[in-house]
Amino acid sequence: MADLFPPLVTAQIDDKPKVDEKVDYSNLPCPVPYEELHREAYMSLKPDTFEGLRFDFTKGLNQKFGLCHSVMMGPTEVPSQSPDTVIKIPTAHYEFGANYIDPKLMLVGRVMTDGRQSARVRADLTDKLMVKANAQLANEPHMSQAMFNFDYMGSDYRAQLQFGNNALVGANYIQSVTPRLSLGGEVFWVGVPRKSGIGYAARYETDKMVASGQVASTGLMAMNYVQKVSDKVSLATDFMYNYFSREAVASVGYDYMLRQSRVRGKIDSNGVASALLEERLSMGLNFLMSAELDHKKKDYKFGFGLTVG
Amino acid sequence: MAAKPCLKIKGRGKGPKGSSSSTTSSSSSKNELVKEWTNWSLKKAKVATQYGFIPLIIIIGMKSDPKPHLFQLLSPV
Repeated sequence: MADLFPPLVTAQIDDKPKVDEKVDYSNLPCPVPYEELHREAYMSLKPDTFEGLRFDFTKGLNQKFGLCHSVMMGPTEVPSQSPDTVIKIPTAHYEFGANYIDPKLMLVGRVMTDGRQSARVRADLTDKLMVKANAQLANEPHMSQAMFNFDYMGSDYRAQLQFGNNALVGANYIQSVTPRLSLGGEVFWVGVPRKSGIGYAARYETDKMVASGQVASTGLMAMNYVQKVSDKVSLATDFMYNYFSREAVASVGYDYMLRQSRVRGKIDSNGVASALLEERLSMGLNFLMSAELDHKKKDYKFGFGLTVG
Repeated sequence: MAAKPCLKIKGRGKGPKGSSSSTTSSSSSKNELVKEWTNWSLKKAKVATQYGFIPLIIIIGMKSDPKPHLFQLLSPV
């Protein structure tokens, strides 16, 4: 979901009021949504690197409405039989999009020249209840996906119900236990390969750091830690382990937010080193450079791009 | 021609959902009816979203305040 948009440079960690001696347990803050548990870590560790040329032009017609045109040329990866080889096919496409962003309603739609479309809707039905829908449609049959979420925000908890295609039903819940710690869990049931799963997550944050962990019955265990070293620099590290297939990946990354540019990079235990530079050439004009070196598979991707508006 | 409506109904359902093979076009159990009806409505919803979502956003955007001109919508500047 976050792949559609250029990353927003926002304050990473909210300012929490200084807690003195006594914690008021009946007045805890609302936790972050369950899917954003690892938000700070993934901002540093999963920058959207790309390959080839990318040009994005966003034209705002008024405060809430904008159109965007985007051209991408470059090799696209095609899934191959063996995991060691990488097959790439050069493609070029143009994408047209329209955004309508209102405090209560957000509509984002994108359509590409090869017929693929993506649509996102987010509507606040009441103060506390929010509906989100996300769909990726393709012309080929059975290649479309859609997901609907209903989010309820309580005073110190959030609950979400999800429905997706292929008869996917899921629910998750997260609760603030102390002003800094929040715990949550999720269950899901998929109809097509009949499986169900359950997972637990925890997140501990302070002004300077965020630590979170997640375990799921699909075998996934992930832990990450982000430290805000200064206003401009933050470092993150991540560890993912699959206890069924006994594979582990660890990565370390950094995020430098300088006045005119933002550099993010990471290095992985799979031998992948990647970096993304966004440089602000002037107001509204951003220059992007991305590199991803996968030494194990010998796959080197370099990309450059320009974002206007 | 009795085979044709049969194949159409089979083709409408999404692969995994259409596991119940109905050999006659008139389905007897209620489950079949509900499944076919949901498959049909999902297909129509998909087509409606494909053609109508982006025009809907544009219409809602052009009606919001301050109203932009049609010229601004089409010009590249």
